[in-house]
Amino acid sequence: MGSAEEDYNFVFKVVLIGESGVGKTNLLSRFTRNEFNHDSRTTIGVEFSTRTILVGDAVVKAQIWDTAGLERYRAITSAYYRGAVGALVVFDITKHQTYDVVDRWLKELYDHAEASIVVMLVGNKTDLAQAREVPMEEAKMFADNNGLLFVETSALDSTNVEEAFETILKEIFHKVQKQKQRSSQSNTVSLASESPTSTAPAQAERRPCCVAL
Amino acid sequence: PAALPPAPLGFTDVNLNSRNTYEVSRRRSAPEHLPHGGTAPAEPAPPPQEPAERARHRLGIAGAGSSFAEFFTRNFFTKRTKELKPAVQSAPGWKLFGKVPPRENLPKDSKIIQQEYEARTGRMYKPPPPSARRKNIEFEPLSTTALILEDRPANLPAKSVEEALRHRQEYDEMVAEAKKREIKEAHKRKKIMRERFKQEENIASAMVIWVNEILPNWEGMRATRRVRELWWQGLPPSVRGKVWSLAVGNELNITPELYEIFLSRAKERWKSFSETSSENDIEDAGASVADREASLELIKLDISRTFPSLYIFQKGGPYHDLLHSVLGAYTCYRPDVGYVQGMSFIAAVLILNLEEADAFIAFANLLNKPCQLAFFRVDHSMMLKYFAAFEVFFEENLPRLFLHFKSYSLTPDIYLIDWIFTLYSKSLPLDLACRVWDVFCRDGEEFLFRTGLGILRLYEDILLQMDFIHIAQFLTKLPEDITSEKLFSCIAAIQMQNSNKKWAQVFASLMKDNKEGDKNHSPAPKS
Repeated sequence: MGSAEEDYNFVFKVVLIGESGVGKTNLLSRFTRNEFNHDSRTTIGVEFSTRTILVGDAVVKAQIWDTAGLERYRAITSAYYRGAVGALVVFDITKHQTYDVVDRWLKELYDHAEASIVVMLVGNKTDLAQAREVPMEEAKMFADNNGLLFVETSALDSTNVEEAFETILKEIFHKVQKQKQRSSQSNTVSLASESPTSTAPAQAERRPCCVAL
Repeated sequence: PAALPPAPLGFTDVNLNSRNTYEVSRRRSAPEHLPHGGTAPAEPAPPPQEPAERARHRLGIAGAGSSFAEFFTRNFFTKRTKELKPAVQSAPGWKLFGKVPPRENLPKDSKIIQQEYEARTGRMYKPPPPSARRKNIEFEPLSTTALILEDRPANLPAKSVEEALRHRQEYDEMVAEAKKREIKEAHKRKKIMRERFKQEENIASAMVIWVNEILPNWEGMRATRRVRELWWQGLPPSVRGKVWSLAVGNELNITPELYEIFLSRAKERWKSFSETSSENDIEDAGASVADREASLELIKLDISRTFPSLYIFQKGGPYHDLLHSVLGAYTCYRPDVGYVQGMSFIAAVLILNLEEADAFIAFANLLNKPCQLAFFRVDHSMMLKYFAAFEVFFEENLPRLFLHFKSYSLTPDIYLIDWIFTLYSKSLPLDLACRVWDVFCRDGEEFLFRTGLGILRLYEDILLQMDFIHIAQFLTKLPEDITSEKLFSCIAAIQMQNSNKKWAQVFASLMKDNKEGDKNHSPAPKS
C-alpha cells in the first residue's frame, strides 16, 4: 500500500449519500473494482475506496467516502461531509420514496459541506426499467432547477457508472482550476479554504496540490 | 498440414506454459516471418544451436526422425492448425491475428514462402513415417519428470558427457528438493492435525467442566480465577449460547410468552403494512408512521445483507424468518429504539447460538447495556465519550500509532462505529467474533474497546506505514486471514489501566467534565 502507483496531482474527496439500499456501495465497487455484489453487506458508518483517473493531463485521485444511508446515522455521517469537494446523491429509480427525500439529503449536505461542493444527482438501478417509479425527466428537471449534475446509472450492468464519476471529477477539476487562477491573480495561494488539519485530513497528504474548494 | 511449412527455428523459446500455446499457434499460423527473421516481433531467428538445443532439452522431445515443428503441429496444435488451414492458404495467416504488425513486402502466399524457405534451407518437407507419428501422438508431457526422463531426440547430437552429467545432477537435485518439500509439508499437515486434535480435546474437556461444574454453580463460580481463565480460552460451542445468556442476564425480565406477544404484534403490523399502501398516511402522525414503516422496510432490506456469505439468513434460507421475527418483535418491544442497522448482525449471531425466544431475550438485554443503548440510539455525545475513553487507552498502549493517527486527524469513529455497532461480527471472521463475544460477555463493554486496541496492535507495523486513506480502508475492511491466536495475544497485551484508572473510571471522569464542553476530546471530525 501507499506505493509508487500513488502518483497524483490532486486528491478529491467525494461522498456518496442517499437512502439505505439505493446501491451506493455497489456503485462504488463498480467504479473502483469493477465488481457488483447482489448481497453486499449493510454499510455501517463509513467505508472507503479510491481510484485514480486522468483528467486532461492531471492525475486525479478520487477518495470516495461511502456513507451509511440510515436516517439515524446522519448525526454521525454528516460529519464526514466536511472537506468533501464532490457529492453523489443517489436514489433508486424504482423507489419513489428514495427520490422524495433527496431534498433532505441536499439540505443535510449543504449544512455540513462547503457551499462550493459539486453535487450530482444519481438515479441508480436503470436495469430495473420495468419497475421504474421515478421518471427520468422529473429527476432531470429537479437537478436542473437545483444546479445539480444528473445521470442515471446501473451498478449492476455498469451503465454510466464510469461516466458519473468521471463527470463529477472533471467538474470538480475545472472548478479547482478556475479557483486557482483566481487566487493566483489575487496573489494569495490558498490551497485549502480552511486550515489543512481541520478539513479533510486526506487532502493534506504529501502532494502539493491537494485541494479543498 | 501439408500447407504448413516446417519451421523449426521458430520454436526455440517455446516452453510448456499453457499461456504460450496461443503464442505458438499464432506464430504457427504466421510462418512467413520465420525465413526472413529479424524484423518480425516474434523472436529473431536464433543461432540454430543454442536456444533450440535448450528448448529441446527442456521438452525432451523424441524427434524420431520427424521435424521439431511436426511434433508441435501434431501434438499440441492439431486442432488449431486444422481450423486455420483454409485461412492460411487463402491469405497471409498472420493478418487474422491483428497483433502482429504488418511488414512492408507483404502479399506473399504462404506456399511461396514455404518454397523459398525450403530452397534456402535445402530441406524438403516430408511427412514423418507413420510409426514415429504415432509415438509422438502418444507422448503427452504431463509432468516435468516425464519430460526430463524422455530420451534425447535422436536427430540431435549427443550431449557431451559433462553436460549429461550436469543435467542428471540438476535433475536429481530437483527431485531431492521436491521430496524435501513434500516431507516438510507432511510434517506441517501432521502438526496442524495434531493441533486440531489437541484443540478438539481441549474443547471436549472444557465442555465437560462447563457442563458438570460451572453451569450448575454459575453464580458461585463465574467470577473465580479458574473459570475466568477458562472463559478467556473460548467457550465450547455447545455451551456458548447458554453462557452468553447467563452472562448477559435478563434484567428486563422478558419471558418467552412476552416474546410471543411482541412477535404477534409485529406480525399484525406487517400484515396491515402490506395491506395499506403508503398513500394513506395521516399528515400529523406522518413522521412516526413513516419511520416505523421505514423500519420494517429496512429490516427486510437488511436481513438479506446480513452474513450474505452464509446463505442462511437470505430469503428462502433456514433462518430468514427467525431473524425477521426477532428483529420485528424488538421494534415492537422497544419502539423508542426501533430498528437500527447493525442490529441484524447481532441478532443473527445470537440466533446461531440460541433458541428463538432465548435469542430474543439475550438480544433485548444486550442492547439495553449502556454502551449499546448509546450507540443504537445514536446518542452522539455519549458516543463521543466512548471514543474519547478509547483514545485515552489508545495513547497509553500504542503511543506511536496514536500520534500517527493524530497526524492524519484520523479519528476513532471512522473504524469504531462499525466495530462497536455490530460487536465485531461484521468485521471479524465469525468464529473469531464469537470468541470476542465470549470475553465481552465476561468483561463487558470495556472488552469491546480492548479488542479494538488489540486489532490496532496486531497491525501496528503495517498501519504505521500507511496514510489516512489506506488506514481508513484497511480498518473498515480488515484482512480475512486474521487468526484468533494472534489477535488474542495482542488483546492480552493491551493494558486497560491508565495511571491506576480503569476503563470505568476513565469513562466516568470523562462523563463528569461533560459539562465543561468536549472541545478537547471531540474525536469526530467536527471540531
